[in-house]
Parts: sequence; structure tokens; C-alpha cells
Amino acid sequence: MSDDLASRWYSPFELEVLQKAALLVVLCSIPVLWVVSLRENGELLVLLGMISGLLSFKALSRENRDFMMLSSALIMLLGSLFLYQATLRGVAMIDIWYSVILICSGGYGLWSLSSSHVSKWLNGRLGVEGAERGLARNRILRPRWAGIFTHALLLHFVFIVMVPILWIIDVSLSPGQTASGSLDLSAWTLTHFSSVLEKDDFWTWVSNSIIISIGTTLLGLLLAIPAGYAFSRHRFSGHGVMMFSLLLVQMFPGVIILVPYFMVMKSLGLLNSWLGLILAYSVTALPFCVWMLKGWFDTVPLDLEEAAALDGCGQFGIFWRIILPLSLPAIAVTALFSFLAAWNEFLLALMFNQSPDMYTLPVGLAFSITQAQKWGDFAAMSLLVSIPVVILFIVFQKSLIQGLSSGGVKG
Amino acid sequence: MAAVSFEGIGKVYDDGTTAVTELDLVVNEGEFLVLVGPSGCGKSTTLRMLAGLEDISEGVIRIGDAVVNDLPARARGLGMVFQSYALYPHMSVEDNLTFGLRMKPKAERPDSEELKKMVKETSTMLGIDDILEKRPRDLSGGQRQRVALGRALIRRPKVLLMDEPLSNLDAKLRNQMRLELRRLHDELGTTTIYVTHDQIEAMTLADRIAVMKDGVLQQHCPPLEAYHKPANPFVASFLGTPPMNLIEGTADGGVFTSGSLDISLPDHLSDTKGKGTLGIRPENVRVMEDGGVEASLSGVERLGSETIFHLDVEGISIKALWHGPGDESEGLPEGKMQISLNDPSAVWFAD
Repeated sequence: MSDDLASRWYSPFELEVLQKAALLVVLCSIPVLWVVSLRENGELLVLLGMISGLLSFKALSRENRDFMMLSSALIMLLGSLFLYQATLRGVAMIDIWYSVILICSGGYGLWSLSSSHVSKWLNGRLGVEGAERGLARNRILRPRWAGIFTHALLLHFVFIVMVPILWIIDVSLSPGQTASGSLDLSAWTLTHFSSVLEKDDFWTWVSNSIIISIGTTLLGLLLAIPAGYAFSRHRFSGHGVMMFSLLLVQMFPGVIILVPYFMVMKSLGLLNSWLGLILAYSVTALPFCVWMLKGWFDTVPLDLEEAAALDGCGQFGIFWRIILPLSLPAIAVTALFSFLAAWNEFLLALMFNQSPDMYTLPVGLAFSITQAQKWGDFAAMSLLVSIPVVILFIVFQKSLIQGLSSGGVKG
Repeated sequence: MAAVSFEGIGKVYDDGTTAVTELDLVVNEGEFLVLVGPSGCGKSTTLRMLAGLEDISEGVIRIGDAVVNDLPARARGLGMVFQSYALYPHMSVEDNLTFGLRMKPKAERPDSEELKKMVKETSTMLGIDDILEKRPRDLSGGQRQRVALGRALIRRPKVLLMDEPLSNLDAKLRNQMRLELRRLHDELGTTTIYVTHDQIEAMTLADRIAVMKDGVLQQHCPPLEAYHKPANPFVASFLGTPPMNLIEGTADGGVFTSGSLDISLPDHLSDTKGKGTLGIRPENVRVMEDGGVEASLSGVERLGSETIFHLDVEGISIKALWHGPGDESEGLPEGKMQISLNDPSAVWFAD
């Protein structure tokens, strides 16, 4: 039986890798097709590359050996042609990148399909022993080769995500105030940063943002921790309704409550103040924080509280000495969430605090670009605004993961 | 150390389920009492009511002379070992041990010298003095068990409560800890109430056992007495492996009749009359060469040190226990055996 099993289940890992290569070709063809269509010619080549990639992705199997060879060769040929055509009109980065992918993928296809092991398998002459050896070969070689193309694929996704950030960094460091920046590294300068940092306005906004964000975090935690604990441990009338209404509030878009909120703050005299925004932000962040913390508290075994009760703790002692220390990861997550929500919020801040000395950073940022089109300064300032966020994420990364995964609540 | 008494204790949960009814039970000072019964019999609830983790619906619980019904858990001076151990995950073993001591009001709190001494004493006694710095998550099951025990003992509790403390250990460790628990009790003499569903733990550990079923106390006596003189068919079938054979029928003039089966009753039951249940321990069912009742064999379990025969006598299923490995090479005696059901230690339960 085992003999049959080996040949029945074996297929060379090259096929799997080729499939990834074909996927890479297809995916890369999409943006290139768009870019090339803006220029005069070359669409045909890319389209052909895409189609043959797609076909070979579909056709990978033992029966289609000749077709696979053919499409690999075609892809390789298309890659070379594309590169040749590019040299005629001046080579751009994207041309080299695309033809390298085509040539490498096609080349790998030709090479692997014509290797003796794979061609034996394709022709069905491998036999039982060969199949068993092949399985062993797969185990060793597959991770290596599959890794190469998987990473090639993933790097492209990373690139897509990184482009806006790299762009902003480029703009902030390039001389001049254009939004396009320059790729000339030697011309890079820190003037934009220093001009932002020299402005008094900027520092006022920073301190506003810090006070409001920290205030929000503290007030939010102060309300959310006891609330989450009560919801987790005690059953009282209205328990379910209240939990549900916390969720319900989350479902309305914030814009709906904007006007009533404004009226309330106005009548309370809290416009143009720190407290107004702190109150508003804490309330907005509360539902998530309460649910998150309740989810965490639910996972802390009741036995621990009972043990502490027998060990001499009262209700508050149990909460303070047992529950709180065990909940630090979840508290860190909720704190981070409240902080970020307050730090990044724009709409309420824009409405409530209309005098320039009470702006928060996002509002200040928006005004700085509407008043004068200084894209360089704007980019530098955006980066400065996001630095605290990045630092917080790095610091809290570990407890963030722990808090989010163990709490069983999605962030 | 103190005695504990339950006087007419009842527990009804908020949803209306009754967990315990009319429980009267006295645990003497220094006694090791095992509360035993199938799951859902109210034994844990009883323990939790004593610990102050559960409200008492009816009756009075005393520790020593003091009524503790409305005292908070921390005021009752008890130590408890939980089934899950409930060690504080964020504290080292040493901090776990001393937590209760450090929580005491300032006047009673031992100073750090004294604390160290107590930790040393307890940890040496339990063999955990080399893991004091570790966190609970780095310990093995057996070590956690010992730390939990140490945490309960270090405060010299008036009563030590244990709720299925061994059920999370593997079989070998459980046997070992069972012996050790008994040794510790003999050494310290702390009044101990121990909840388990395992009748072996109950038999081996207890000075007295209290068998419970559906919230009602069935029997409260030394373990061997419960084994030999069970108060009712439930206790008879709950203690002992394999359980006691229970045969329903009528007794009259020294003869027990069940269907077409006649058994002459032993002397101490010769005056018995009327309907009832006759109980015979499997080890007292003797396999005979001839002259007994004919039984057909429906199965054999060879356990090495003993052999259990599952027999069928006139439609009544009977188990017989024979202390011996049985001969593997031999087949069953043609599916038939002669057994004697005339047992001098048989018990009678009148209907």
C-alpha cells in the first residue's frame, strides 16, 4: 500500500513554486499595464505576459507539460522583448523591474521543468522509489524555493503599503515646497523640519494635543476599568441592555452627534477648552474600552478572587492586588486606543476649538496647508505628528498582542 | 484549630435549584473529614458555604463556638486549596505563600524576619524551598499543588478546606500526594474538610466520611464502617470497586427469594421479614467447585492482582471478585460456574 501512496501523493515542489511565480507575473502585470498604457506602446507585450501567466497558473499539471514549457519560454521571451523595447525609448525603473520578474519566472519554469527529476515525473517514469525520494526531496528543497517566490510576492505588497510613507518622507526632506519631492538624495535637507519646529504655533498645538490625549486616556481608563469589571463580574438589572446600548452607540457615525454635541459643549461653556474635548473623546472611546476590558476580565478565573478573599482581601483589595496587575496588558491596549483616538481625531477638534491657540495637531496641520501651500513643511509636520504614535506602538507592541489575543476581542 | 458544625444547613440558588437540604454535620477538632459523593451532590456547595464564598440560605455554621454565617470570607480564618490551585500568576511562589500574611491587619502582620522564617518552615515541609523565586506558570502540576497547599497552611488556618485538590494531577502523582496529605495531617493535626468524588481518596484519607447525594447527607461515619455497614443502597453502591451486588426481593424465615432464586440468609439476618434489598460485596461471592448456585458467566476482567467475574444468576447480574491473577491459558469454565451467595457479612436494606 505504502508504495502506491508515495506515487499517488507525490508531485514535485517545483509545480507549487511555479504557481507562485505565475501569480507574481499576473499581479505585477496589472500595475505595469496601467503605467504602460499611459505611454505609447508596449501594452500588447504586457497583456500577453499577463495572459500567459494566467494560463500557466491554471494549467499546472502533469498532462500539460508541453504547454507549461511553452508558456515559460513565452514569458521569458516577452520579458526580453519588453526590456529591448524599453531601451529604444529610454529605460525606466519599472521596465527593469518588470522584465526581471518575467525573465526570472520564465527562466525558472524552463529550468525546473526540464530538470531530469521533474521531466521523469512528467513523463510518468519516476516509479515508486523515485516518488519516495521525491517526497524527501520536497521536504528539504520546498521551503527554500517556495520562500523565494513567496517573499517576492509579499515584498510587492509591502511596497504598496510603504509608498505613501516613503513619499511623505521624501517630500519632507526635499528642498522646495512641491508635493512631488525629488529623489536626489544629495539635495535632501532638514530645513522643513527646522522651520516647523521653530514655529511657536506648532508647540502650542503639541501641548494641546498631549494634554487632551493624556486627559482622555486617564479619564477613559478611570471610567472603563470599573465599568468593565462590574459588567464582567456582577449581574444587575439592566446588565444586558446596557452592554448592548454601549455597542449600539458605536454603530452610529460620529457626524450624527456632531451638532448636538456642539450645542451641549456650547451651553456648558466648554468650547475652546481642553476639558470639552477630553470629555467628548472619553465618551466616544468608552464603549470599545469597556467591552475590551470586560472581555479580558472574563478570562481571569473567579478562583483567583476567591483565593484572595480567603487570603484576607476585601472586594477592593481583590480588584487592586489581583485583578489590576493581571490586566495590565488589556489596560495598555485600551489606554493606547484612547490615546490614539484622541491624538488623531479631527472633526470634533475642528468644531469645538476654533481659536488657533486651542488647535490640536491634526487641526493645526490642516490649517497650515490651507493657508499656504507649503507641502514640504506640511510633510515634515505630518511626520512629527505621527512619531509619538509609532513610538507608542513599538513600546506597547508586546502587551498589545497579548491584550488583543487573550482578551478575545478584536481591536 | 477548631471544630466545625453545620446545623440544619440548606442552600437554594437564585434560580431556584436546591443544592443542599437540612445538613447536620459536626467535624471534630483535628479531624479529617471527607465529603464525598457524585458530582452535583452539594459537597462543593457545602464547602463553599463554610468558606464564605456562597451565601447560606438556611441554618447555622459554627467554627469553634462562633457563628460565621454573615462573616466575610477573610474573617473566618480558613485556608483553602482550590481544584485549579488558583495561584496568583503575577507573583512568585514566595509572594504567593506570604500574600495572606501580608494582607493581615497591621497589628497581626508578621515582620519580614518572621515572614522569612514561616516561608522557610512551610516550604521545607512541602519540599518547595528551591522554587520560591519562580512564577506559577513555570511550575509542574505537582509543584503548583504543593504551593497551593503551602499558601493555605502557612497562615495556620483554623480549618483547612480542600476542593478536589488532586483531580488535576496524573494518577501516579495523585497516589503520592494522597499519602503526603495524610502524613501532613497527622503531623499538623489541622481540622481538615476535603471534598472529592473519588471514593479511594475518601477511604484512604478520612477519619470520617460524609457521603452526600442530591444535597442530602446519606451517612457520616468512619470509612470502613460505611463500607461494611452502608446506611442505604446508594452508599453501598457508591463505595467499593466493583460496587456491592444489590438484589431486590423478599425475606421470610431466614430465606431470601428473588424471582426463582433462593438464598439462605446468614444468622444475623435470620429474623428479617418483608420486601427489601440484599447487599453482598463482590469479594464475598465465593466461587465453588460444586454445591452452590449455578451462574452463567457473561464476562471476565483480569486486573492482574484480582479478577472480576460478571455473572448471571436467574436473570440477576452478580459480580464476583477473586483475589488472584486468574490463569490466562485457561478458558472460561464452559460459561458456567458454581457460586455461593450465602454471605455472613451480607447487609439488608428494608424498603
